Amino acid sequence: MHAIRILRLFLNSQIKSQRQYPVSFILELLSSTIILGFYFLAFALVLQRFGEIGGWTIGEVAFIWGITELSFGSMDMLFSGFDYDTFGPMVRKGQFDQILLRPVNVTIQVLGSRFVLRRLGRMMEGLIIIIYGISILNIDWTVGKLLYIPILIISQVLFFGSLFIIGATTTFWTMERLEILNIFTYGGSEIMSYPMHIFPRPIRLIFTFLVPAIFMSYFPAVYILDKPDPLNAPDFVSFLAPLVAVIMLWLALQFWHFGIRNYQSSGS
Amino acid sequence: MTPIIHVSNLNKTYKVYKNHKGYFGLLRNLINRHFKLIHAVNGISFDIQPGELVGYIGPNGAGKSTTIKMLTGLLVPTTGDLLVDGQIPWKERKDYVKKIGAVFGQRSTLWWDLPISDSFSLLKHIYEIPEETHSANLNLFREILELDPFMEVPVRALSLGQRMRADLCAAFLHNPKLVFLDEPTIGLDVVAKQRIREFIQFINTEKHTTILLTTHDIIDIAKLCERVMVIDLGKILFDGSLETLLTTFGGRRILSVEFAEFYPAPILEVAEIIRREGHTVVYSFERKQVSASKLIRQLSENYRISDLEVRDQPIEDTIREIYEKQLLYNHPYDKENPSS
Repeated sequence: MHAIRILRLFLNSQIKSQRQYPVSFILELLSSTIILGFYFLAFALVLQRFGEIGGWTIGEVAFIWGITELSFGSMDMLFSGFDYDTFGPMVRKGQFDQILLRPVNVTIQVLGSRFVLRRLGRMMEGLIIIIYGISILNIDWTVGKLLYIPILIISQVLFFGSLFIIGATTTFWTMERLEILNIFTYGGSEIMSYPMHIFPRPIRLIFTFLVPAIFMSYFPAVYILDKPDPLNAPDFVSFLAPLVAVIMLWLALQFWHFGIRNYQSSGS
Repeated sequence: MTPIIHVSNLNKTYKVYKNHKGYFGLLRNLINRHFKLIHAVNGISFDIQPGELVGYIGPNGAGKSTTIKMLTGLLVPTTGDLLVDGQIPWKERKDYVKKIGAVFGQRSTLWWDLPISDSFSLLKHIYEIPEETHSANLNLFREILELDPFMEVPVRALSLGQRMRADLCAAFLHNPKLVFLDEPTIGLDVVAKQRIREFIQFINTEKHTTILLTTHDIIDIAKLCERVMVIDLGKILFDGSLETLLTTFGGRRILSVEFAEFYPAPILEVAEIIRREGHTVVYSFERKQVSASKLIRQLSENYRISDLEVRDQPIEDTIREIYEKQLLYNHPYDKENPSS
């Protein structure tokens, strides 16, 4: 596949460019690992006082927190071409025109336009917290659970990626970042780091039906950690994560293509 | 011969929204927004034959970029026909852009942090250029554009002239049939401009690449293009040779006189004073109206002259005058020589 080969070449050249600044790379890697780690540490200290949050112990929260961090970090590395903080200026400065002038799939080119290696810091931090969580829990492991964890992480990456694509698409109209979208991307990742039944009903409804974040972390965790579900959802919702992610991605790409067509008919 | 570019009655109309003012305005914007229509390109028609090198000029905001964007497939026209090498540019985008090249003087198409040699090899894969073609072209262009001293330097560290040469090389690597050059000499010094003009000339002659050149530097046009199209307010007002354009509108000459002493108002009837500086006064006059010798005689009868010089008005000034005074409007030229 031509497009996939081009993506690989783009990513290689991105890595090559970033290797030109090795000191800043290592410093940023360390600082993001440590700074984000402190958020969890602060939360853990508070939780130790109360012992649990909504019936979830510190290990259980660490488990979903870590998975969300790992997924968001991976997504932020892979999908940063769609980060509207960089994509907006790209449209404004006419660099998006350059993409349209090259004989390669537009989505692949945007995906390959930026690859932020230093997000490895956030991924590492996530991984450490997952390992910590699992080590203090007594999870009743089955083959199904072991297989579901990587599927869940991939689903979350696609889910967050879809939100980034939607955010990038809005910049075709606004030309700048819409702060309100942060509620769904960064807010979504924040909410997914906690057991969702602790939030008030309106917030839960938003993150179930508008942005279906609840299917990406809370329900799957109920299954993996064998937690009772005070929301009384049927068992199968624990396994909807990949389906929801694929549907989100499909919708996001439809919107994305609609945005490109609009860009071509209205200009900038 | 079938034209490589066929444009017929092409229009592009933008909707420009006017926002209501104030806090209530923000709300009203959501309900009803007023807009006005801007006819950026207003019914233009022209054909370009394979191998032509055509200049496309006009003042800022005339509709040049909008035309180029439609020709490159970046913009969809509002109405009208547009066929480039048998294809409609914005349909089958990937297939179409393989055949064209584009250089925008204001921004680079190359990878900012990569050495230009890496950019060139990425382009080889992007355009799926056969190895022999790629290396033959690269070797040739490296030599003409003198890229060797900075092949391993990243774009961000290049001077504007070097960057432009690298961009030109990049645009022609895949042997495009048609290339759009938008201000390729902007901001460059005389030597760099000359080198770039030579390259464009070379490619057009040797490879028979069709080139549409947009520029504000009329010298580019004078040196390169046999045919020039002038657009203003969305309409093509002239399509022909630069010579015809200049002889039709550029009959003016310049008479620069240095007087032996200071005269407060050394006025001539048929010449206007365009500048004065100490003892020197610069006049401009119409060739058809009066001869230089008659003017000089008039002056020397009344004043003491120590030096004088007669020359043609520079092309840049003629073009500026055509734009500023909108001389092409309602000019009989338009009707006698329809542009298609």
